[in-house]
Amino acid sequence: MEYDVTIGIEIHCQLKTNTKMFSGAPTSFGRKANTCVNEVDLGHPGSMPQVNEEAVRKAVMACTALHLTIDPLIKFDRKNYYYSDLPKGFQITQQFHPIGRDGYVEIDTAEGPKKIRIERIHMEEDTAKQFHLSKVSLLDYNRAGTPLIEIVSKPDMHNGAEAEAYVEALRQTLYYIGVSDCKMEEGSMRCDVNVSIAPKGAEHLGTKNEIKNLNSISHIGKAVDYEVERQKKLLEAGEKVMQETRRFDEKTGTTIMMRRKEGNVDYKFFPEPNIVPIRLTEDWIKAIQAEMPELPSARKQRYERDYGLSDHDIRVLIANKEMSDFFEQVVKYTKNAKSACNWLLSDVSAWLNTNEKTIDTCDLKPQMLAKLIAMIDDGKISNAQAKQLTDDLMTGKDPEQSAEEKGLKQVSDTGAIAAMVNEVMDANPQAIEDFRNGKDRAVGFLTGQVMKKSKGQANPGLVNKLIKEELQKKIG
Amino acid sequence: MIKEMSADRRGAEKRVLDAYAKAQELQPKLNDVITFVDPAEQLKNLPEEGLMRGVPIVLKDNVNTKGIRTTAGSRILSNYVPVYDAEIVEKLRKAGAVCIAKSSMDELAMGGTNLTCFTGPAYNPWDTRRMTGGSSGGSAALVASGVVPMAIGSDTGDSVRKPASFCGVVGVKPTYGRISRYGIIQYASSLDHVGYFTRSVEDACMTLKVLAGRDDRDMTSSNKEVPDYSALLNADMKGKKIAVLGNVVKNISNTETVKMFNDLMDKLRAKGAQVDVYDFDEAIMRAILPAYFIIANCEATSNDSNLDGIRFGVREDGADMAEIMTNSRTKGFGPLIRRRFVIGSYGLFEANQERIFRKAQKVRRVVVNAMDACLKEYDAIVAPASGNIAPLIKSNEDQDALSDENLIAENYMAMANFSGYPSMTVPMGFEEGCPIGINITCRAFEETTMFDVAQAVEDITGYKDLQAEVK
Amino acid sequence: MEEKKDREYFRKLAHQLMFDLSDAEADSLVQEFGTLEGQMALLDAVNTDGVEEMIYPFEADTTFVRKDEVSNVISQDEAMANVEKKLEGHFVLPKVVK
Repeated sequence: MEYDVTIGIEIHCQLKTNTKMFSGAPTSFGRKANTCVNEVDLGHPGSMPQVNEEAVRKAVMACTALHLTIDPLIKFDRKNYYYSDLPKGFQITQQFHPIGRDGYVEIDTAEGPKKIRIERIHMEEDTAKQFHLSKVSLLDYNRAGTPLIEIVSKPDMHNGAEAEAYVEALRQTLYYIGVSDCKMEEGSMRCDVNVSIAPKGAEHLGTKNEIKNLNSISHIGKAVDYEVERQKKLLEAGEKVMQETRRFDEKTGTTIMMRRKEGNVDYKFFPEPNIVPIRLTEDWIKAIQAEMPELPSARKQRYERDYGLSDHDIRVLIANKEMSDFFEQVVKYTKNAKSACNWLLSDVSAWLNTNEKTIDTCDLKPQMLAKLIAMIDDGKISNAQAKQLTDDLMTGKDPEQSAEEKGLKQVSDTGAIAAMVNEVMDANPQAIEDFRNGKDRAVGFLTGQVMKKSKGQANPGLVNKLIKEELQKKIG
Repeated sequence: MIKEMSADRRGAEKRVLDAYAKAQELQPKLNDVITFVDPAEQLKNLPEEGLMRGVPIVLKDNVNTKGIRTTAGSRILSNYVPVYDAEIVEKLRKAGAVCIAKSSMDELAMGGTNLTCFTGPAYNPWDTRRMTGGSSGGSAALVASGVVPMAIGSDTGDSVRKPASFCGVVGVKPTYGRISRYGIIQYASSLDHVGYFTRSVEDACMTLKVLAGRDDRDMTSSNKEVPDYSALLNADMKGKKIAVLGNVVKNISNTETVKMFNDLMDKLRAKGAQVDVYDFDEAIMRAILPAYFIIANCEATSNDSNLDGIRFGVREDGADMAEIMTNSRTKGFGPLIRRRFVIGSYGLFEANQERIFRKAQKVRRVVVNAMDACLKEYDAIVAPASGNIAPLIKSNEDQDALSDENLIAENYMAMANFSGYPSMTVPMGFEEGCPIGINITCRAFEETTMFDVAQAVEDITGYKDLQAEVK
Repeated sequence: MEEKKDREYFRKLAHQLMFDLSDAEADSLVQEFGTLEGQMALLDAVNTDGVEEMIYPFEADTTFVRKDEVSNVISQDEAMANVEKKLEGHFVLPKVVK
């Protein structure tokens, strides 16, 4: 039995602002409980909302980057329900008039690039944080009132890979334009994924299940794929898929039911009477759009045009904005973009991982990496030797000085190498015979012997070349 | 009164302390105060200059006062101490006014009798068997009994202008947005206005000057400049065109009131005003109270959702959040408002909103359109503020809720909340020793015209600085 | 599917609003609901074809938005001043089951 899989995703993103959506209290992360609040955030009687200009600006930027049509008349509504983390007993949101509608983002799929449509983006405020101990729950209102944008996709995704690619594309875009930190592990970006399946060609969609509490993008694909399989199994066994809210369990790689969805809650949405509609002037919007930072898609095109890197390399490089920014600094000092990219993506990244640092918190300087690349390109040291300098490089040392201290020098003098080649060949006549008999690995063996003799300092490319030449001479 | 008081700098302390003492003396008879505020600290910190320097005043208990208990007349807030001052409190402090009490009000401002306060009913100083009217009854009474020359109230349907009528004082509801609502515990946000009571139109002008002005914390507050109302006051009625709300007069069964009113209209004519009877569509008039009731209850049910005992207020025990909230709200809210919340919630359900809430909002616009049509030709709309004097508390049985008299004559003043237009009540006359007022409504931000007409009435009646002797 | 507007119905509604009604109070509501229906009839008698809801008294939109600068923050003590149960600066609730 074949199935159509339908996936829709709702993302809540905290906006990077100094103050809350509707009050002049500071936004916070990791501050002491209830120290970033005022009467508005606590929902005290008589308090009233004041809309944050920067939040609106960032929402406009998000809509622009994701190709949504912007509604210049900002209206807010109340979503009414009772919960301990909702201080006013309602959330101020934009139910009827979202700031943006009908956008899209492009993702890469196995079948090529695909547009995932975005139905709407709207502004709202975050709730308080609850901590559950064994007998009590604790409430911290620092987070209450933090500006959020909610991004609702159309149900255009059909498998875990697409879902993951969509979220990653959004994350990159929003991160690049500075709208949000987009850190799922910190909660500044939260994903709810809706999955349903139906027999292929069926008229109606299947029962939707919502997956919440995903802590990293890498979990999305796994969660979705598991959920699809779970639903398929149910249907194939003749059972019904119940409407549930489920969470992804990292350890088992499965989704687990949190609660059953019982009917629809009536939120009694109505327009917020304390906020008069706000008119954004065309000039204001245009000014914001003119100042937009570079989008990842634009950066991708620029890299393709200017640096001749592979598609894959560009993609990986751009996925980490700070790394990509650093790359651009490095290529100010060297023309070898490919080498710069390779170094950053392999040795530098590995070092950062091991040492739990980021490109911004280590002491690597762009000029120094460029210098190292030049040293290799000029034949002063070999690639292998350069790798030995990584530690020093990452802690801010000048690679020339480092190489000097470590006595790493590449011997590229043809005469000196030729002498070593001859010595090694004289000492290993069997290798020559092997080569004569068609065993190419003799080349590698002899190369290795020369490198050993030279204590790793011989220019391996040159060694290889000379050995091949000599072998040809000897057999020919 | 206020001008003289603030000019008399040496008399400030005695005046305030006397007011404080008088309020306490009258409390057993009137029960108009929820919390007394010892003025000693404020007297120490009086500013050098101020339009109300050393003037004792009272605040309705829905006005947040930092560090001083604010209850909105509800048990659930009986222990609530605000962490901030309402904007008007800051303005009054800067002007040198001294608050001596937080006054009684209908619970959460949802009532017209002042019988639902958790501290018990407020009594009318003219006749303590009668109600003050509500919801700003305590404030009205404390001005009427001469305790203070000015008291703050709030007006969502007529909660300043009705008690003003019942208590024989000036009661002002300015234009929506004229005075910041920041820090006023909300009833129905699109209808709520900060209002106030005085014993003269002159004092009303001065008070508005102190209270009015833009506050960025209240996004609905107006950016319009605040005129010098006192300087502009001019009771010359020549050329003024006044529309008598015919529907109201027609539906008042008390002929004495009608005569009192008509006589006053004749005297206004004698002063040069053109006074015509203007009739609105009766169906529109009948729809005012229902529309008000629905919009107010719906907005209130949402506004009061923050009262759950979790971050402030009286918290009852419970095994979990839901139980705590439910127990706190059940014990903390009186039965009347719990019933009104249910009705409000019902009107907001998705399936009902079009038929109930939004229909009421559409009727609101129809009413305002009708007012606009009238105010295109006329400078003011006037009518008696009530058909009768304050009802006896004991006899507060349900009047026929759907009678024209109740709908039109007694509850039309919500029109000015729908439209946001400035509206005030001034004393008009007496029956059985108790006062009745006349209500005047003008175009948006034309408080000056409204004060002018009110002054003309005050000049005619001579009812300036009327004070009740509490027996 | 119209639900019967009886005592149980209103108690359920009240419960959704996080409070209870006594029997007498619920009965009172049943009556008040009757009044509400009377009021609805009065509203329906007013023709509102083509009329838009009036949400605010004044409908001029604003261009004012608040600058993104910290302007009002209260201390932790002030935030907690109105509760008895606190734990290391947090509000305390018995365990929430959701």
